[in-house]
Amino acid sequence: MTTNLDRREFVKLAGAAGITAVFSVQQTNAPGPDAAEKDLVLTALDAARSAGASYADVRITRGNRESIAARERQITNVSKSETYGIGIRALVGGSWGFAATRELAKESVAATARQAVMIAASNDRVNPVKTPLAPVKKVADGRWITPHDIDPFTIPIEQKADLLFTTNEEALRVKGVRFVNSSINSIRESRLLGTTEGSVIQQTLLRIGPNVNVTAVSSDNSDFQTRNASLAPRSAGWEYVIGLDMKENVLRWAEEAAAKLTATPVQAGVWDLVLRPSHLWLTIHESIGHPTELDRAMGYEANFAGTSFLSPPEKVLNKFRYGPALMNVIGNRTEPGGCSTCGWDDEGVPAQSWPIIDKGIFVNYQTTREMASWISNLTKVRESLGTAYGQDWASIPFPRMPNVSLQPNLQDISEDEVVAATKHGIYIEGDGSYSIDQQRYNFQFGGQVFWEIKDGKRIRMLRDVAYQARTPDFWNSMTMIGGKSTYRLGAALNDGKGQPQQLNAVSHGCPIALFRNVNVINTA
Amino acid sequence: MQNNIRKRHGLSPDEARQLCLKILDVARADHTRVNVTSGISGFTRTAMNRITTAGETNNVTVRVTSVFGKRVASVDTNRLDDTSLQRAVRDAEALAKLAPENPEYLPELSEQKYTEVDGYYASTGDLTTESRARAASLGIKAADSAKCVAAGFIDVSAGSQAVATSNRLFAYYSGTGVASTLTIRTPDGLSSGWAGNEGGDWNTIESERIASDALRKCREWRGKTALEPGKYEVVLESTAVGMLMSWMMVQFDARPADEGRSFFSKRGGGNRLGEKLFDERVTIISNPAEKNAETSPFTNAGQPIQREDWIENGVLKRLAYSRFWAMKQGVPAKANPSNFIMSGGNVSLDDMIKSVKRGVLITRFWYIRPLNPRIVSFTGLTRDGTFLIENGKIARPVTNFRFNQSLTELLANVELMGPSVRVASDESGAAGTPVVVPPLKVRDFTLASVSDAI
Repeated sequence: MTTNLDRREFVKLAGAAGITAVFSVQQTNAPGPDAAEKDLVLTALDAARSAGASYADVRITRGNRESIAARERQITNVSKSETYGIGIRALVGGSWGFAATRELAKESVAATARQAVMIAASNDRVNPVKTPLAPVKKVADGRWITPHDIDPFTIPIEQKADLLFTTNEEALRVKGVRFVNSSINSIRESRLLGTTEGSVIQQTLLRIGPNVNVTAVSSDNSDFQTRNASLAPRSAGWEYVIGLDMKENVLRWAEEAAAKLTATPVQAGVWDLVLRPSHLWLTIHESIGHPTELDRAMGYEANFAGTSFLSPPEKVLNKFRYGPALMNVIGNRTEPGGCSTCGWDDEGVPAQSWPIIDKGIFVNYQTTREMASWISNLTKVRESLGTAYGQDWASIPFPRMPNVSLQPNLQDISEDEVVAATKHGIYIEGDGSYSIDQQRYNFQFGGQVFWEIKDGKRIRMLRDVAYQARTPDFWNSMTMIGGKSTYRLGAALNDGKGQPQQLNAVSHGCPIALFRNVNVINTA
Repeated sequence: MQNNIRKRHGLSPDEARQLCLKILDVARADHTRVNVTSGISGFTRTAMNRITTAGETNNVTVRVTSVFGKRVASVDTNRLDDTSLQRAVRDAEALAKLAPENPEYLPELSEQKYTEVDGYYASTGDLTTESRARAASLGIKAADSAKCVAAGFIDVSAGSQAVATSNRLFAYYSGTGVASTLTIRTPDGLSSGWAGNEGGDWNTIESERIASDALRKCREWRGKTALEPGKYEVVLESTAVGMLMSWMMVQFDARPADEGRSFFSKRGGGNRLGEKLFDERVTIISNPAEKNAETSPFTNAGQPIQREDWIENGVLKRLAYSRFWAMKQGVPAKANPSNFIMSGGNVSLDDMIKSVKRGVLITRFWYIRPLNPRIVSFTGLTRDGTFLIENGKIARPVTNFRFNQSLTELLANVELMGPSVRVASDESGAAGTPVVVPPLKVRDFTLASVSDAI
């Protein structure tokens, strides 16, 4: 079913300097648009054009979610949801207007399109501006579906409940473990896009998010510790859940939760860190993914998500050293399994991959059609890199993070080799507490499980660990990265940005990596 | 409460009741509950001294919860034609039959008595796109005139919610929410100031004050210099207090306390109800009828939300009990707080500053995340205006800091309190859960490391 390039090909590309983008390919066997929905999209586009929009795009999205959750030996939630409607974005002069409705009759769709134009016109009267849009190739009949083997919505709810119960029961066998929460969220988004430039694109995105959280409590109730399994959500089918072996692995997670109660409190100070992908993905997300968003760098998110230390573009593009020469990072909406992976973005721009950090140097941002021209004189790229996304029909599309991934070492260095190269350090598994400033300099991350490494060996479990660093210092302290055998995807379904806030699903791939001399604090 | 010339947004009580009855009529489960949420949301967003986006959305969402014995499942839909509603009911029933039993399920509630609350302000519900644009342009003009750069957000919601059960319960609430926030930065990115308001009533949003305060902060913070991290006496403006305290709201749950996984757990078992845990001036209540901070007086299950005193003079007086946990513990059920109201004092911000020998004035925070649940500690950063106070005066603007701070310690370390006000406490600038708090002077606040961010 998939027509994506595989990861090895991206690994090869990642090392290549320059701005060559790699695009996803049209899937001819994916479902096409529903005729009635397509008719409504065309109605909205006509109405927007007639009312005076110089450009408009229209999205009909149907979002389905199925959730099941259990605590210990009982079910706590079984639910399904559907949200269905149309959102219309119109450009009048240089101002945007957006309107959305759940009423999918032709008259209300046309009225909503006119409302979007009216809002744009109102804004343009109060505050006239110019908004050039980057060119995009028309896609008259685009089709794409998340590659998968088993549609998670076809798996009976009893089977999912059984998996959660069995997982919980295994965890409760461990002494000290008193509580276990587990859940599975299955998500399907059907998205039909039409633009006044003639594109009509139907996509079906599937995502699945399992979770297991184990809590151990000391016998006198004076302490409790949790171990979250840090299972990454994935753009995939049920086969991904099968492959996680939750029933088998939960024993280790539960034992680690209990062991944390008696683990050695960390000595605050300077330590080397060996960070597994289940942890490092979140550090990448916060300290590379967000600061390389061009809208942030230009001040568009200044009132909430913040700006970026990577600004102004002319002072940092192709100049700023993010990290060592072994550091290559790509933006990639074609990464297999990536939660941001798709066929086209919400402006009809093809999904693609491109270098963001090349041999340690910052070389490109993330852009949309509105933003591409802001830096095209510096990047020589006129087109959008395809990062527009609105979370649902009721939400205006705006720049959202693609999968941003640290590429593995071309030499296949193993995890054991990375640990062996560490004289005195902490090995961190799983994502924990996280916080970073509004320009993405100062961050602090916890984790799930911490092991002290001495002379190249893991010797004992530590607890209450978090590290604080400044983004460029941290990445420049990376001295070793694992090879492709250590490369994994981490992900979040709930990355918040924008006003009104919208959630984006995004993955970050990375190998295991070693960082020298990082400031560690004790959180107790 | 208001003279409503125009129809309110969202379904009216009659429309909501009819919709609920239509669904309950076709339900075949042992018990059925219907939740209906309806209304509009609107926003205007600015950045780089221009309106970047604006929009309006209307929606109605129906949740059908079906129960067979103790098997429970729910289905949400926003499609209201008869066929779609029937399908939602049948899907919920089919799903419930397949779901494993939930031994903690208790039968749906019958008719309840609720506090009377009308949280709908026509000033907010009737706000037009043009009015939002004009208000937003005040921030742009203020920034423009000072050769600075504005980014702002006005968030509006207006609508209703209803719950009905097959045991004849019906409850309805109608409300509005609005928040306006503004950040003004210097074009070189070396300074930033913020101001905001939140409420139910658009007439309480001070657009001109927001524009001038954001610009003032931006001017005053320019030229910041380093200050060593450490424990400081701090003066927290009310927004900063609200951003921290909104994380306290979820702590008042009896079950985790009784289960040994909460700050309110007692060593050896049970909880700490009745213990004096905080400074004696700390009193925290919730009240759905609080003026300009109204909330629905019922939960999604129809459980009444009443005025509750959680902390009185530093003593833990109340914990929330779900219906199941209340039954198990043999106490009355109490819903979680729907807003957060902390009593204040009468010390002005200026007088607080005058009383500080050496400390830090903090405007607001950013990226607050849990750190250690056992001591309710959080990490996060200061933002948009941080100043060193020396000998009762603002000495100079200083760099931002990361803090690591236990909120329970903070409530024990209160020195002075100002008058309580409703604040824009949601980091995203959304009109969210109402938070009413005073500015505070607090000792021993941990500023853990310096942030270069502006």
